[in-house]
Amino acid sequence: MNAADPIIRLQHINKFFGAFKALNDVSLDIKSGEKVVVLGPSGSGKSTLLRTVNRLESIDSGTIIVDGHNLYDPSEDINRIRMEVGMVFQSFNLFRHKSVLENLTLAPIKLKKMGRDQAEALALALLDKVGMRDRATHFPIQLSGGQQQRVAIARALAMEPKIMLFDEPTSALDPEMINEVLEVMITLAREGMTMLVVTHEMGFAREVADKVVFMDAGAVVEVAKPMEFFTNPQNPRSQLFLRQILAPATR
Amino acid sequence: MSEPEITKIEVGDGAAIPRPEDKGLVSAWWIALFGAIALLVFLPWYKPDPYLNILRFVPDGILVTFEVTVFSISLAIVIGLLTGLGRLSRNRFINLIASLYVEVVRGIPLLVQLFYIYYALGRFVRVPDLVAAVIAMAFCYGAYMGEVFRAGIKSIDSGQTEASLSLGFNHRQTMAYVILPQAWRTILPPVGNEFIALLKDTSLVSILAVADILRRGREYASESFNYFETYTMIALIYLLITLVLSKLISIMEHRLSHYERR
Repeated sequence: MNAADPIIRLQHINKFFGAFKALNDVSLDIKSGEKVVVLGPSGSGKSTLLRTVNRLESIDSGTIIVDGHNLYDPSEDINRIRMEVGMVFQSFNLFRHKSVLENLTLAPIKLKKMGRDQAEALALALLDKVGMRDRATHFPIQLSGGQQQRVAIARALAMEPKIMLFDEPTSALDPEMINEVLEVMITLAREGMTMLVVTHEMGFAREVADKVVFMDAGAVVEVAKPMEFFTNPQNPRSQLFLRQILAPATR
Repeated sequence: MSEPEITKIEVGDGAAIPRPEDKGLVSAWWIALFGAIALLVFLPWYKPDPYLNILRFVPDGILVTFEVTVFSISLAIVIGLLTGLGRLSRNRFINLIASLYVEVVRGIPLLVQLFYIYYALGRFVRVPDLVAAVIAMAFCYGAYMGEVFRAGIKSIDSGQTEASLSLGFNHRQTMAYVILPQAWRTILPPVGNEFIALLKDTSLVSILAVADILRRGREYASESFNYFETYTMIALIYLLITLVLSKLISIMEHRLSHYERR
């Protein structure tokens, strides 16, 4: 693979839920180290798009290349590709029967055949990074939403992925917990992680994104640098969306 | 897209489980327990012939009843797990086989199945009566157990599966490491309930020349002609066993929910 090649390449993706067209001819390239934020009204296909990148969602036509692997080539091992692509969910989805530490060590031990000591050392270092080291022996149910999400990010990082997908990571959180999660994501971005983020956090998009992808009705309507997108959106639908979300704050 | 969540499985064919929140049932449980024990003690003391003689003759069968129950439930749990997984399988053929098994078994009375398997087996191989009885009971209860497992597995939020897949686990690993360990807690109480139901239904194997509690009772009664007295004692013995077991299940349930709350 050429270094200049995108690490994620989506070409002409179409997807239907029954008769409903969820993704309409979506094409998108993401370079290694790039941070891409996907914005759009609810139901616009943002999450669906994100979920196709590790094949949690199937597609009806198009090609998805992740790190040189064609996701829909039957000869490719999807589980191996997924190890390279970490995912963070809106509802955290921590393993409820495992402690925080075990949530982080399960996959490295079982999938990478990492020794327990090594896996735990890695897990503790990652927990330290997200500020959760002192909760290593707790169970998910004992943690707040923000804490669970930070652990979930650490769990994904424990597989040392090349790409991180974030599916509305702060949407299920109480307002006072949003920042602790965003801070972790910003740290990750500064370290050069390739990130694809679906979010409603405009501040995050403005500060972190290399490019903003605006979707509406299953299609990519506009791709722009955040400054351009927020100050001078080109597409009428982007303009309407920004007016709607920014209106209350400027009143 | 995502299935509606099933949070509680109610399979009410075993026994009334005296859950602490059901005050009426808890009181009834104590009254029934003391009543059964009192009668089992009082009657043989008051009228040793025939009650004490019955109590001397019948208990051999208790061990057989427990043997049939424990072997059957163990086998049924294995069959049930496979059936439950089969019913959830994305492989159409496996799914069809598992579903067909459940449909057929649930549509035929247990007594008929017992006769059928007993004589069908007998045509090809000579197996001890007890083994035939266990196979027949497990074949039937495996289907019910399969539905318990299926509901238990489906009760786990699909986000758990997605998180596991996204880390790189395949479907089998996801089931083994993530879903089943969590599903046990939902599954165990109804399995306990099925255990009691099965224990009671083992009385049916008495027709297959297996010397369980009921069979021993029938033997005693047919010699002594003390039908009323014998069946009184038998009913009390079954009642005492199921009362104790239902209490154990209630305790186990409470432990499990406590574990969840910590």
